[in-house]
Amino acid sequence: MKKKNLNKLSAVCIIGIIILTFTACSSKTNINENLVSNDGDDKKIINLFGPMEKSKPNVNNIARTAFDLTVEMAEEDLDLTVRYRTYTAENYQEKTYDEVTLDRVRNNMDDLYLLNPDTIQTLGSEDKLLDLSVLESAKNLRDVIKTANTVNGKLVAIPQEVVAHGLFLNKDMFDEYNLELPNTPEEFMECCKIFKENGIETPIGANRWWLENFVFAQAYADLYNGDDTEALIEALNKGEAKYSDYMRPGFEYLKELIDKGYIDAETAYTYEAIEEEGADFLAQKTPIVMAYWAAANSDTAYGNPDFNLQVIGFPSKLGPMPVVSMTGYAIGSEAEHLDDTLAVLDTILSDEALQLYAETNKVISPSKNVEVECIDALKPLNDRINDNVYVLGSNAGMNVEQWGNTCLIVRDLLNGATVDECMEAFDKLQEEALSK
Amino acid sequence: MKKRPKRNRKGSLLISIILVFCILGAVVFSVARKTSAEMSSSAINNLSDSLGLVKGTIEAILVKEAQFQKLIAQEIAISKDPYEFIQFYDENQTIAKISLILEGETKGISSSGKTFSEDALDFSTGKKIGDLSLTQSYLNDMGTWAYTMKCPVMKNDKEIAVLYIEYTFDSLEASFPDNFYDGSAMLYIMDSKSERLVLKPTGMGERDAGHLNLADFYRANNIMDETLQAKVAETVHAGHNIMFYHDIRNKNSLIYMWSVNDGAFYLIGYVPIEAIQQEGQSVNQNILIVVIVMLIAFFLCCILYYFNQKQQQTIRKEREAEREIHNKQLAEALQAAQIASNSKTTFLSNMSHDIRTPMNAILGFTTLLSKDADNPLKVREYTKKITSSGQHLLSLINDVLDVSKIESGKMVLTTQEFTLNDLVSSVDAIIRPMAREKAQNFYVTVTDITHEYLIGDETRINQVLINLLSNSVKYTPANGNIWFRIIGQKQHSAQYEHIQIEVEDDGYGMTPEFLETIFDAFTRAENSTTNKIQGTGLGMAITKNIVELMGGTIDVFSEVNKGSLFRVDLELLIPSEQSDRQFWKDSGITRILVVDDNIEICKNIQTLMKDTGISVDIASSGQEALCMAQHACDNESGYQAVLLDITMKDTDEAETVKKLQEIIADTIPILFLTDCDGDDMHTETLFTENVGFLAKPFFVSAFKEALLNMRLMQDKDKPESESKGDAIISGLHFLVVEDNDINAEILSELLDIEGATCEIAENGQLALERFERASIGEFDAILMDVQMPVMNGYEASKKIRLLDRPDAKNMPIIAMTANAFAEDVKDALNAGMNAHVAKPIDMSLLKKTIHQYVS
Repeated sequence: MKKKNLNKLSAVCIIGIIILTFTACSSKTNINENLVSNDGDDKKIINLFGPMEKSKPNVNNIARTAFDLTVEMAEEDLDLTVRYRTYTAENYQEKTYDEVTLDRVRNNMDDLYLLNPDTIQTLGSEDKLLDLSVLESAKNLRDVIKTANTVNGKLVAIPQEVVAHGLFLNKDMFDEYNLELPNTPEEFMECCKIFKENGIETPIGANRWWLENFVFAQAYADLYNGDDTEALIEALNKGEAKYSDYMRPGFEYLKELIDKGYIDAETAYTYEAIEEEGADFLAQKTPIVMAYWAAANSDTAYGNPDFNLQVIGFPSKLGPMPVVSMTGYAIGSEAEHLDDTLAVLDTILSDEALQLYAETNKVISPSKNVEVECIDALKPLNDRINDNVYVLGSNAGMNVEQWGNTCLIVRDLLNGATVDECMEAFDKLQEEALSK
Repeated sequence: MKKRPKRNRKGSLLISIILVFCILGAVVFSVARKTSAEMSSSAINNLSDSLGLVKGTIEAILVKEAQFQKLIAQEIAISKDPYEFIQFYDENQTIAKISLILEGETKGISSSGKTFSEDALDFSTGKKIGDLSLTQSYLNDMGTWAYTMKCPVMKNDKEIAVLYIEYTFDSLEASFPDNFYDGSAMLYIMDSKSERLVLKPTGMGERDAGHLNLADFYRANNIMDETLQAKVAETVHAGHNIMFYHDIRNKNSLIYMWSVNDGAFYLIGYVPIEAIQQEGQSVNQNILIVVIVMLIAFFLCCILYYFNQKQQQTIRKEREAEREIHNKQLAEALQAAQIASNSKTTFLSNMSHDIRTPMNAILGFTTLLSKDADNPLKVREYTKKITSSGQHLLSLINDVLDVSKIESGKMVLTTQEFTLNDLVSSVDAIIRPMAREKAQNFYVTVTDITHEYLIGDETRINQVLINLLSNSVKYTPANGNIWFRIIGQKQHSAQYEHIQIEVEDDGYGMTPEFLETIFDAFTRAENSTTNKIQGTGLGMAITKNIVELMGGTIDVFSEVNKGSLFRVDLELLIPSEQSDRQFWKDSGITRILVVDDNIEICKNIQTLMKDTGISVDIASSGQEALCMAQHACDNESGYQAVLLDITMKDTDEAETVKKLQEIIADTIPILFLTDCDGDDMHTETLFTENVGFLAKPFFVSAFKEALLNMRLMQDKDKPESESKGDAIISGLHFLVVEDNDINAEILSELLDIEGATCEIAENGQLALERFERASIGEFDAILMDVQMPVMNGYEASKKIRLLDRPDAKNMPIIAMTANAFAEDVKDALNAGMNAHVAKPIDMSLLKKTIHQYVS
């Protein structure tokens, strides 16, 4: 009796499975159904223009990942697509990213841009950038961010990270020659001397972009770390003080480094950031390079080296001095998709997005509400910033744009100009500014 | 035909299955491969088609741009002021700039109003769209990649100016498919000469967007094979398409380079193979799933089949085992039946022989008797032999009937109080003459018995002992020895006496094979010697059954030519009142002396006398006995009886008795302990007053009886055994109730011989009527048969007892019947009869019984 029931049950199960299988395999087409998906047609887009490092085989760029995470957040929240365009110069003879950016902003090619400090100041002055103080997220920004990015009373750019530049040192090589990490220009010079004497042809790996940090560290150490910063800047803006007086010691110091062969001016003039000098540093042929904070976290830059990496400030009489420059996101004043772009920017600069960004890249957040731990290599630099000891590489409050102009004048120095000629260039810039 | 081994068959089956699976696997694999190859080919074709379509679209756009430029040139040709015409144009995403240089001038003007010169443009590539020259790609003032076509402005077949229009590559992006292969495929536009990537993928997370040029594309995607790069360069230079496999980010990918506009630009990019072969993989996956499901189903079926087979095999094995057991049981039953049949046949044959033998003797002697009737000596001899043969015949019949009773489970034990003394005496009385006749020595010992009076079926115990001992006598040659021992064992319970009975001989013994069947019915030890011995072969079976019925055990140990030992263990109930203390008190006996050099016997006597309250002193020699007697007399605590072993060494019994009688009073009884009856004693001197004999083994009851006999002798001073029977029935008148005329006549004659008379009644009814009519005291007793017509003996007895006569209750009624079983005795007593005497009639027993009930 039991066996019969089991047989019946088995038969019913088999029939059921067969029916289900046939049902699953059958595909009944509804002739009235539109087979084309039109979902993508109405999707909103905004165009973003930003720089991008060259990709490495089989390596993910963490900086991009962090940025992409926040963009993804915006795309999901706002149901739109962010189109990303970039430009990288093939060589020093080609247009720079900044030059291309200026063209694109002026021609209203895109909606959202990631701009360098000099470009921010230039385009802000031309009134090509939108005032971002309307954004909700702008209320959370640290004051230094607001100060550095305000041009003609408008907050024209906001960064996702505070970009602090420092010296990246191979601590193992310093230990090998019993060298202490340098604090002052003299100590740094001595270290370079020892390296040189020990057969390291060029102790400092330099590129055409970031040597100016040596200048800023020595030029503005007192200005930004004293009590009368505003007054001193005011004196400069009024012409009562000369930028060249501030800049001279740094240029002379750079000149000495070049003359003593600690920096190869010829290659530095042509090298793009990280791409060339970075290889020698990672190969432990060069003990010293300069780079920005996030490079210590990125596999595409100096993340996970085979040696003990330490990041310190640039030498100054006040000790290691971080140089803080402000890159930032800006919106073209006549952007085609203005409202959507504002919404995207508000999202990627929200505390939630900045927390995600800062945690992913281990960087200093522009929001006063976001704090994250940094990696060990960055602690010396981080400690100085936490102690409010740093100089700004760009300041929209100064009537002479600092970051871009100094970079160009340093290139002149690399190209053979004398320090006096360089100082004359600063004087000329100051005169032009005062004449406006 | 030879049967193939099972293992080979299984191996072949396994190989066949594996072969089928191999073929199936090969077919599935080849189908999957074929499908995969076809779909791969199809996928590559689809990719080619897609790239061709994009290429076609781009080329169409370029052609349209060229046509548009020609139209503009025509418009300019007919315009009054060409410069004014172009300045009306506003820049847009497709056309960045329109410029014009008039014929004969090196500089012109752009739509932006700026001065324009051809120097900034590179037309050296020689590439054309339609018939318009095309520049190398460059980064324009808008910060985007662009190209310029130049078109002559003709008026009246004369070139009046050159029109330059700058187009952006961004405008070509619209020709790219959305989500190319689900976004996994990349597409770039590369300028052929500079190898710059002038249009890159857009969208979030595009690492590929960072590639600068073809070299950077190679580096970033790890395509570093120089031969491959050279081949690509050669193909690009020739303006041909190329597609090749390479791993990109650990995924096998297809890299493609599609020539656009005769190699002016190239569509380049890559797509992972898995993306284009998604459908093929899906099909293969489905095939694999189906195959796996089928395999699982097949293996499930195999497992189910295996378990089913295993179960079937187990059931089959169980059935076979069951059948084997059944067959075995049947065979055994058959064998047992055959053995039983054979045994019964043998038994019948034996019985036929055994019955015919005494019957032949009876009939033969009756013939001789009739012939020699006048010769009293001969008549006595013949009748003696007829009696012997008749008794043998009777024992045969009794055995057969016992077996029948046992087998039908109707045997019932009749328990009553008895003494071991009676048991041993009766057995001794039967066996000893038999042993003596065969010149065998028969030894009887009783040791360690604490209770002499016991409750049990004396008759059946007697039967067991007679069976065992008579066998020993039978199977022991002349001058052999037979031992009969009763040994007291440690009691398991205070209420039961545990006794062990041993019957041992040093006779022929038995083979081990025979020992196995010794207790089976209808078996009998046979050899050249014993063949001469009569027997039914039932004795041991009856013995064993009786012992087991009593809750005892029987064991046998035997060796051929060495002898046999039968050991019976029994536990018999001890009666509450063990000994008659009053008798000893009345007799005035409080202390006795036992004289025996065998200390064991003395100790036994002490043990047995324990319950009587009599003090037993022991002396191991005559001299010691005399000393003790003297000492007792001196202390005025003399002995009231003396037991003296007659076989003591170094002791002159007669002298000892004499001296004893001098010390103790000559009225004190002195009893000689003998190994046998006093008949064997020829020492006339021992027969003096107050001297008697007591046969070993010692029993209290025998001692008591001996003392009583001595007193009787003293009282009557004449032999006891003489004329005892005559005195009993002589002159008595009986009512004999017997339906069989012959039996009635025999009985009548026998009674007549004994001096008694009788009246015959043919059945119970007649007997009842006759007794009713009889006067009081007319009959001294009724001898009643049981099985009779009209009214049987039981009914008649009951009715007699119910008669309203003063002697109805007391009239002795003795059953005389062939119904000789114990239960028949019980039934007779239950019917109101006084006693039971079995047929054939043993006159001495009958007389004894009549004497017991007729005062």
